Amino acid sequence: MKKAQSHPAEKKFFRWLVVAAGMHVGLFVFALYLQRWDAERHAKPPKIVSVSLVSLPGSGGPSGFSEEPAGEASTIPASLPETAALSQAQPEAVQPMQQKMLVPPPATPKSISVAQTKPVDKQEQINKALERLKQVVAKNAPAPSKPSPAGGMGNLNKALAQLEQRVKAQGYPGGGGQASGSGRGDGGSGRGGGGPYKAVIASIIQQNWEFSRQMLKSSYGMEVYVRIHILADGTIQQILFDRRAPSEYLNNSVKKALERSSLPAIPKDERASELWVGFVFTPEGIEK
Amino acid sequence: MLDSKIGIFGLLSDAGPVVLFVLLVLLSFSVISWAIIAYKFGYVRKSLGESKAFLDYFFDVYNVDKAFTGSEQYKHGSLPRVFRAGYVEYRALGGKSDIHQAQARIARAIKREANLEGKRLSSLISFLATVGNTAPFIGLFGTVWGIMTSFQNIGQSQSASLAIVAPGISEALIATAAGLAAAIPAVMGYNYFSQQIGIIERDLEEFSPEFVAAFPAEPSTQQGI
Repeated sequence: MKKAQSHPAEKKFFRWLVVAAGMHVGLFVFALYLQRWDAERHAKPPKIVSVSLVSLPGSGGPSGFSEEPAGEASTIPASLPETAALSQAQPEAVQPMQQKMLVPPPATPKSISVAQTKPVDKQEQINKALERLKQVVAKNAPAPSKPSPAGGMGNLNKALAQLEQRVKAQGYPGGGGQASGSGRGDGGSGRGGGGPYKAVIASIIQQNWEFSRQMLKSSYGMEVYVRIHILADGTIQQILFDRRAPSEYLNNSVKKALERSSLPAIPKDERASELWVGFVFTPEGIEK
Repeated sequence: MLDSKIGIFGLLSDAGPVVLFVLLVLLSFSVISWAIIAYKFGYVRKSLGESKAFLDYFFDVYNVDKAFTGSEQYKHGSLPRVFRAGYVEYRALGGKSDIHQAQARIARAIKREANLEGKRLSSLISFLATVGNTAPFIGLFGTVWGIMTSFQNIGQSQSASLAIVAPGISEALIATAAGLAAAIPAVMGYNYFSQQIGIIERDLEEFSPEFVAAFPAEPSTQQGI
């Protein structure tokens, strides 16, 4: 009799046991779904809009060129007041050439190649701007509105000389000789590391990079885009993070590796007194 | 789907064997606790409801035979069960013993059934108390173990930045969270059932003498109370 009574009770209890187990499984699945949803919601890569502006001398007229490395915006201030009149008189002469918006593609972890290719463009643009400026000034020099064309040319030359100095100071030695109006020249070598030298410094950084992949919970989006500014003696003057990884551990390890690395001096065949070199750090290693 | 490396599941996949074992134990504790809570909730609620209904019926009919017949529809109530045990004993006497002896035997039968009913009601409840008391400590054990392992890993990586320390600790803290998640419903269920079972047991103590007094000296001749 008692067995007959206890049996349905046990059966009922086991039924509840199965229900509770199912409830836990359901809760886990729900939690998993919630986390995936949350991760997808936050995993959208942030839009990085990099706008670089360089203003040529002149107070009102827009002038210049834009082509800076991604993530960096620098401006050459209009510090030449003597060219203001010229710029105002000829506003059509100088036009903004390029405003670039860069949105780095998250799915293609390729190394930053701007360090090698972009300086050529930049130098070309500077040259073009200068040429255009000269042409316009030369065309309008005998205009009656100009009280002293000779003075205008002088101002222009001064402005050009200062501009060249600035360009040189920013690490574009190829800009030298542009004042003579010769145009392009070899301005491209001002930025970006050469192949062998870059390989050497990459291996040095790799050696100093202490990173354990096991410390990362996820490898999704684990890429650090870094550019370093190397002086002639091999000193790293500046470290720029173009894009950080979601893991601060990876970011810090990269930073430490770069700080620890003592790089060799830039070889003479690089034809540059200083270099910008870009790397992509991933858990698999350094991509150049 | 479960191989996801995100959030809690990512931490679980990186946890050590001891932490995983602790989590498994806590998960089984939680499953069993919830099963007990669900099972006992229905049982205790029915017992309370049917006991109240039977008491109303018992005082309405004022007759043990009718009360016994009516008690058949309250199969899950504690008071009807106790009354039925007394009635069975009363019928088994068949008027062979004197009134004092008969009442003593009926009282014993009722007391025995009341004890049985108390045991039946409080069975499995002690497991809730055990889970409520021990699950946080088991979780804490998992956490301590996880943190120990985590510190070993930190020592190996030779860096003590937050980025290295934090993941291991958060991984270890899952065990404490699981312990609390198992313990909190168990404690709440235990408190609720203790109170409800206490009410039923007080009813049994209070109405057992009433039942004993309700049975007449000679079952065959006297039908009223």
